[in-house]
Amino acid sequence: MDWLEQELKRALERKEPAPGFAGRVSAAARRRPMPRWIAVAASVVVLSGAAAGYRWYEGLRAKRQVMTAIRLAGEKLNRVQTRVMEVRQ
Amino acid sequence: MIAVAGTGQAACDFDALVREHQSMVFSLAYHFLHDRAVAEEVAQEVFLSLHRNLGSIESAAHALFWLRQAAVRRAIDETRRRRRRPQVALEQVAEPAMTQPRGDPMLSDVLRRLIAALPEDPRAVMILRYQEDLDPPEIAELLAMPLATVKSHLHRSLGVLREKLARRGVGEP
Repeated sequence: MDWLEQELKRALERKEPAPGFAGRVSAAARRRPMPRWIAVAASVVVLSGAAAGYRWYEGLRAKRQVMTAIRLAGEKLNRVQTRVMEVRQ
Repeated sequence: MIAVAGTGQAACDFDALVREHQSMVFSLAYHFLHDRAVAEEVAQEVFLSLHRNLGSIESAAHALFWLRQAAVRRAIDETRRRRRRPQVALEQVAEPAMTQPRGDPMLSDVLRRLIAALPEDPRAVMILRYQEDLDPPEIAELLAMPLATVKSHLHRSLGVLREKLARRGVGEP
């Protein structure tokens, strides 16, 4: 091994990471991530719930619109009926 | 099998592996990336990956091989992802501004910078050769690279380093 290789060995000597590195790694390893199937199942439940909620809300809105239309038609009909009665008298 | 993931014994073995190999993994990343903070992030990811794969580790030697390989691969990935430092050929790296004789601590720093500026494959080869003291066949196995390519990277990189240093009056006495 010549002088340059000796210098390279010196330059590339192993170095220590910051103090507490091993502890931080061990702590991070203990915080195990959620298994993928649980994450997928949770996503499916949330999305299904959201879809069901949206369908229920849309149904409710449609029902309200129908009721409003019926009420308006009824009022109009009442007005026409009143007018017909007035004409007859 | 040295440990089974998910058991208390595995946690103990994992902690021991981290303590034993932290300087090796960190140094591979540091010499590759020349950035302490990024090197620590990379080293942590390598150990967390080991933790996930602890069940497949068959021996202490396997753990060492696995960690070296994972550290180099992860460091290469990080280099590609970040592109913090534009990659240039060694011949294009600016001459180090130094007149100190060899053995000076500045020479080590200049050598580290020159190594960090090498393209990925020769950089990995040089770091494994001079940090880890691996022989060319061991480097070839670790990097899944033909032996002739490893030898070529070593020979060429040493030649260019020698030439750059000689131009500055740093060389064999």
